[in-house]
Amino acid sequence: MGSDILNIGKSALNAAQIGISVTGNNIANASSAGYNRQVISQSAAPSQNVGFGYLGKGAQVTSIERVYSALLAKQVNVSQARSTELTTYSSQISSINNMLADSSAGLSPALQDFFDSIQDLTNNPGSASSRQAMLSSSEALASRFQSLNSRLTEMQNSVNSQLNSSTSLVNSYAQQIASLNDSITKAIGSTGNPPNDLMDQRDLLVSKMSSQIKTTIVQSGDSYNVFVGNGLPLVVDKESYSLSVVNSPTDSTRLEVAYSGKGGTPIILGENSVTGGVLGGLIQFRNNSLDTTKNQLGQIAVSLTETFNAQQKLGLDLNGNAGVNYFNTITPTIRSNGNNTGNAVLAGSFTDASAVTTSDYSLTYNGGTNYSVKRLSDGTTTNFTSMPITIDGVSISVSSGTMNSGDNFLIQPTADAARQISVALTGTDQIAAASPLIAAKNSSNTGSGAISNLTVNSAYMASPFSSALTLTYNSGTGNLNGFPATEPVTVKTSSGATTTYAAGAAVPFTAGATYTVAGVSFTMGGTPSNGDSFTLTPSTGSSAGNNTNALLLAKLQTAGTVSGNKSYEAAFAQIVSAVGNKTSELQVTGAAETTLLEQAKAEMESNSGVNLDEEAANLLRYQQSYQAAAKVMQIASQMFDTLINIR
Amino acid sequence: MRISTNTIYQTGINKISSLQSDQYKLQQQVSSGKRILTPADDPVGAARALTISQAQSINSQYADNRAMASFNLNSIESTLTSVTDLMVSAKSTLVSAGNAVLSSEEKNYISTQLSNDLQELIGLANTKDGNGNYLFGGFKNTTQPYTATTTGATYNGDSGQMDMQVSDTRRMSTTENGPDVFQAKGNDVFATLSNIVDLLANPATTTAALNTALASANTSLDKGLDNVLTVRAATGSKLKEIDSLDNNGDDRNLQYKAELSDIQDLDYAQALSDITKQKTILEAAQQSYVQLSGLTLFKYI
Repeated sequence: MGSDILNIGKSALNAAQIGISVTGNNIANASSAGYNRQVISQSAAPSQNVGFGYLGKGAQVTSIERVYSALLAKQVNVSQARSTELTTYSSQISSINNMLADSSAGLSPALQDFFDSIQDLTNNPGSASSRQAMLSSSEALASRFQSLNSRLTEMQNSVNSQLNSSTSLVNSYAQQIASLNDSITKAIGSTGNPPNDLMDQRDLLVSKMSSQIKTTIVQSGDSYNVFVGNGLPLVVDKESYSLSVVNSPTDSTRLEVAYSGKGGTPIILGENSVTGGVLGGLIQFRNNSLDTTKNQLGQIAVSLTETFNAQQKLGLDLNGNAGVNYFNTITPTIRSNGNNTGNAVLAGSFTDASAVTTSDYSLTYNGGTNYSVKRLSDGTTTNFTSMPITIDGVSISVSSGTMNSGDNFLIQPTADAARQISVALTGTDQIAAASPLIAAKNSSNTGSGAISNLTVNSAYMASPFSSALTLTYNSGTGNLNGFPATEPVTVKTSSGATTTYAAGAAVPFTAGATYTVAGVSFTMGGTPSNGDSFTLTPSTGSSAGNNTNALLLAKLQTAGTVSGNKSYEAAFAQIVSAVGNKTSELQVTGAAETTLLEQAKAEMESNSGVNLDEEAANLLRYQQSYQAAAKVMQIASQMFDTLINIR
Repeated sequence: MRISTNTIYQTGINKISSLQSDQYKLQQQVSSGKRILTPADDPVGAARALTISQAQSINSQYADNRAMASFNLNSIESTLTSVTDLMVSAKSTLVSAGNAVLSSEEKNYISTQLSNDLQELIGLANTKDGNGNYLFGGFKNTTQPYTATTTGATYNGDSGQMDMQVSDTRRMSTTENGPDVFQAKGNDVFATLSNIVDLLANPATTTAALNTALASANTSLDKGLDNVLTVRAATGSKLKEIDSLDNNGDDRNLQYKAELSDIQDLDYAQALSDITKQKTILEAAQQSYVQLSGLTLFKYI
């Protein structure tokens, strides 16, 4: 009987001791990452039938369990993946945002300086110093494009290296989870008890993996099967598979995330398969912001180069020679898919700068006479039956080799343009400030007729007048005589009515009308007298004071050139506003998602986290239990002594 | 609700760090005076600021252009004032040459005087502007426009007139070419003077021939003077237009400045009051954090 009481006391003493150990362990791990508080589960030991009833045999500790809710953990992991995706995207785009924040480092000041220098040139077109100032400021502008572009390229390289390190982390987590699956299964199999610390570690790894990529956990037995993306298994029981980064087949400068499976060829995962976490954020940033910004900047470079060159070629330089390209020609980037079986090499050029978009294109040859071009920004597909093809102001031709059916090419009209832009002129004399034709009225004219708004187009530059064109007014017939007999004349009245007169036909004088002949266009005004004549004289030799083409070059600053409707500056402002909007949106949604994550964590912590006050109370409780149990044993011992002492 | 000790610490720290980051941003705004630190702070405003600052820069460039234009036009005006004086004096000399009692010697004096006038007129037609370019040479402004010949002067320039962009919509011609000033409507002032100089210097010239020539020269000089006055009037009205464009440009500049300031500049009163408010909140958060984290049961056991 005494030993029974002693045993009961001992069991209580044991239970209290284990309780104090577990509480101590909780206190020790209060701030350990991934630690879930543990509790003992204690029950009454099986009682014994002593005839008049069942007599209790003390207490026993049945197990030590961690307090863990898979549901709450899943909430945290889902939120973790979303929140990291947003904060990664946000912190990446912040670099572009900060780059654009410094108004002195953006494109605007360089653009403004450039056009200011053209205006200065119009005031003194023959001055060598004005010409040098324009040439220098155009070089500064080109180098500003290049430096902005190179910072974007740096960001692209940084995305590449982050993709690399992030996939390594995911792979390492996957391996650790697989090996923990093994250890946990074995531990439970051999002891029947859960290895709490191993399980905590495994859950911590899942949470860490969730911050790299969206992760789905399916529990099978005591193992975790981990899936990423659209159900790609990364861990199955004790096996792990891996993600890798490979060069994009269409663009070797960028890395793509691929799934290797079990030692197979890596399969590139599409944009939609890599979601959540750092990886998802990086991919989204690259596809939706970085590439777009680079293309938009390139689009301005293409527009500037093409429109400026076109106008420069309509003028004459200081030595009276026709203007040459001011900026070196930019060529669209065309990349052959690494999996192509044909050996065709394509070349591209710009045909209409105002039609150039910021999108990339994918050209696929489907055999026979079937070529299809997909605009990647909106998925619009256009079919062609032969090469060369022209789409959105870009002409693409086969420069060598032949295509095989299924061959694919990535066409990036603007992606590389901001890097390519550079000044072609080598001397200040080459700036074409002068107009090729000068209008004049004969000094013996008695009427008020006058020529204004004289412009020429590229057709005129191809075959300029060899001598002056003299137009004479005949008041008897009301006609302007002297137009070239071989060229038709188009007359557009001030009200907009257009009439074309066949070559050699009589052309009437209409005040305020615009006449177009042989690529030359001018407006006739005033009232000429009979016999008054007007000349269009080709400018010859040096005419240092001729600034007419420089005025037209200066006008390009505010012309709707980019996409045919925006000035260079407005197009840049659009980049600033787009990046600003996206950054601000991500800051807001990122903060919201971070708050949700904090809440989910707090909920999980509320269940599983250690509360030191609670542990202090438990400590007191188990201490008292221990003291009470010891008292029971003391009493049992005293009872025994009492028995022994009976004589 | 049960709250873990970690949560108590983490929540406190999160709150304090978010308050500190707000405070940091306010501090940056105050020290830079700018409301928009990066485009994300106000994407629309940031883009508008760029557009306005381009407009402002173009506007001030037009002001520079106008200063240049006005300089050129003033040079033309002052040269043409001298031309007018010269022509008026030549005209009275012509009148005196019509005096029937003049000896051939006296006619020679007058011829010399008119010849000097002609040289001076050619000199005025060859005036240079502030940049060292000829005022009346058209686009060929580095070539001397007129060279004297035995019958007057020939023009070496062309018919170009240099335009300047003086506002976003106005292009103004700021040079004149020689023929428009001195040889308009078939009336060549140089040839007229040269002809009279020769006639006066030649003793064989009959009085009748001289009188006819003097009469037509008089008419020619009148026409020439008329033309110069017309050009001066046009120049004067251009200068007046520039004045009014200047006023307009100044107004616009003020407007752009005000708009830019509205978009970009910080409302200091608001910002400073925000800083004080944030500071109070931050202090309260820090104090409550310290007091809460000091609360533990372990103190009592």
